[in-house]
Amino acid sequence: MILSKALSRDLLISVGFVAALALVPIVFPERYFVGQIITFLIWSMVASQWNLLMGHAGVFSLAQMAFFAIGAYTTAMASRHLDLSIWMSLPLAVLVAMVSALIVGAACLRLHGAYVALLTFAIAEVIHVLIITDTYCYTREGGGCLQFFGGATGFSRISDFGFRPFLKGDWILGNYYVVLLAFAFVTLVTMFVMHGRLGLAFRAIRDNLGYASSRGISRFYTQMTVFAISAALTGLAGWAYAGHFRFAGPSLFDFSTLILVLSMVIVGGLGSIWGPYIGAATILIGLEWLKEFGDAKNIGLGLILVLVVLFAPNGLAALFARLFKHIRPGKNNTPKSRT
Amino acid sequence: MKSSMTRRGFFGRTAAAGVGGAALLASMNSQASAADGEPIIVGCPSPLTGIVAADGIEFRRGLELAAEEINTIGGILGRPIQLEFVDTESKGDDVVSQAAQRLVDRNNASALITGYNLETGTVLPEISADAGVICMHAQTQVTHEEVIKSDPDRYWGSFMIDPPETFYADGLLEFIKELETKGKFDRPNDKLAIITGPGNYSVNIADTLNEKAKEYGFEVSLFETVKVPISEWGPTLSKLRADPPAVIAMTHYFPQDQAQFMLQFMDDPTDSLVYMQYGASLAAFRDVAGDASEGVLYATVIGALQDEIGIAFREAYAAKFGADASPNSGGQTYQALYMYAIAASLAGGVGAAYEEEQNRKVAERLRGLIFRGPMGTYRCVQETQSAYAYPAQTNDPSLGMPHIFSQIQSKAEDGKLVAPWPYIVADFQLPNWMKS
Repeated sequence: MILSKALSRDLLISVGFVAALALVPIVFPERYFVGQIITFLIWSMVASQWNLLMGHAGVFSLAQMAFFAIGAYTTAMASRHLDLSIWMSLPLAVLVAMVSALIVGAACLRLHGAYVALLTFAIAEVIHVLIITDTYCYTREGGGCLQFFGGATGFSRISDFGFRPFLKGDWILGNYYVVLLAFAFVTLVTMFVMHGRLGLAFRAIRDNLGYASSRGISRFYTQMTVFAISAALTGLAGWAYAGHFRFAGPSLFDFSTLILVLSMVIVGGLGSIWGPYIGAATILIGLEWLKEFGDAKNIGLGLILVLVVLFAPNGLAALFARLFKHIRPGKNNTPKSRT
Repeated sequence: MKSSMTRRGFFGRTAAAGVGGAALLASMNSQASAADGEPIIVGCPSPLTGIVAADGIEFRRGLELAAEEINTIGGILGRPIQLEFVDTESKGDDVVSQAAQRLVDRNNASALITGYNLETGTVLPEISADAGVICMHAQTQVTHEEVIKSDPDRYWGSFMIDPPETFYADGLLEFIKELETKGKFDRPNDKLAIITGPGNYSVNIADTLNEKAKEYGFEVSLFETVKVPISEWGPTLSKLRADPPAVIAMTHYFPQDQAQFMLQFMDDPTDSLVYMQYGASLAAFRDVAGDASEGVLYATVIGALQDEIGIAFREAYAAKFGADASPNSGGQTYQALYMYAIAASLAGGVGAAYEEEQNRKVAERLRGLIFRGPMGTYRCVQETQSAYAYPAQTNDPSLGMPHIFSQIQSKAEDGKLVAPWPYIVADFQLPNWMKS
């Protein structure tokens, strides 16, 4: 297999990035810090898939957090109702998220633009409402009631990655490397998809549907493919989330969570390659810093968004690429959107 | 039992115990010689923004008042208490867990004290166990008890300072029965309407009410689950008006939602007692509902009493935070911090995060502590590390947290405590909408 120059470059950066991340808990072992990096890895995975779907394939879907939640819920329900280990539930989480995406996609991808956003959001909201208004006790635990889908409280204390007996107080290191492995897998698959024929087809449909169709590219099947791939990888992120936090609950469907991840994609740069990672890091660092300011946190987050949209409308990734070109004027052959 | 003890005598003893707690702390502080003066960090992961921020802000205030008072008498063995807060945004397990971990790792908290969070009730015990710190909360969930029982050695440091929600349903039905026995309420029919939110706390209470209603001669005419937050109560009220029940029990507990219900209910009230879970105890409920709040009954297993100790606390709280502040929520963390300070002093000081040995000694003292504060008496049920409930688990009011029933009789002030003995300060009054 011959790798293109751009793919080779991005793969090299990916490997270097993952290797650097692998050293983080060794250099900074504080549990809270490691936990924050795990959060970054999880949201980066989701943001990168949203970017693949929206930025590269031009599908304005708002169901991405629902697929993330489906991955997490499948893991939690498999643990609670079927007593499956977290490892056994991994393929299940990916598969259920992907099948759900195919069903949602079959209904939504016949529409265009804002209508796709509206319908996908409506579907995600319906799932959310059905879960939180279910009060029928599927089973009783102690004196409490547990609904089949966890109700408004969700599932807690589900099986984790199983490192506590071996690593004792350092269990979070085990979690970290599992999530990092998932992150590396998602990143590599995304790189291959973006740089491959499929990625080309995604962008062709996004940029000129008429021309792409005339070259034999089916919009529906291509977009169904990207919908399924991004949902499967987002489901994997949901699995990692459930395994680390030992929790899956309706807060995953919250509009504020959706906006948080969407802002990561926008701040980083929609349609870029490294944008979601830069966006996730920027937003999470911003949130961490803004915690010191109490109630002003959300205002600060809004301000970051406004500033980025005003001064870097193509996202921070594009801004950094421009700066990089200024610093190295001889190396200015990098395509603008491929940062 | 009740006839042999006078109300005055009871309060004489308990007030002395309350003052004794602070005096004990002051005395131990004056004898502390090895104190280095370095502050003891107490972390509070609390919902300071979002849907239950009204409570979260009071949890912060309660801690601030207690820390100020305790520091005035020397802190914990000469070391002042320093508070750190992280907002949990009224969100679930993931956010609460990160907030608590931040307090432990970044702020080096020796203890985590809060009221409640919108989590499953399992997060804080896990963080506390992993970090070897004390955790005290008023989550009011049976889940806490299940967690502790599942591995007492791991969860040695987690304490729920009130009883679980499982006592609410029986308590309400008993309360109504008592009103009927005393001739204060004559039910117009045998129908009971239950309105619940989707959270486990609300659902557990609603389910138990549903199960037990028949034993008390009630037929459940409506069991409605609403999506929260909710401000449009029209559909639910239509059902209630079509088939008016004798009692409406709302186990959903957000004060703003309950207030909206009352505002809309009063447009065309039915001949029904209205009981609301917890939320009506907050000033926010009266602020929003105004005149429509008068006549509402509410209950809590951790509310500020209206006796000598409770009133002293209410006055101090209002003086510091204003008349609109809610001592019913703030009192939870206020009482918890006092308990922690006394237990830590008795144990010879606190351990830092991940220094389990000393913190285990503090936990041991908390397990043995009987503390009478403004919310009632905390005594630890050993196997569940939660508080005894009075009158459900003990018939001695000096040995359990009272499940108090209050009725709002004036929108300008907190509900009057109408049960149980010996905390009663007013008689139950039939609501105006029922009289007419």
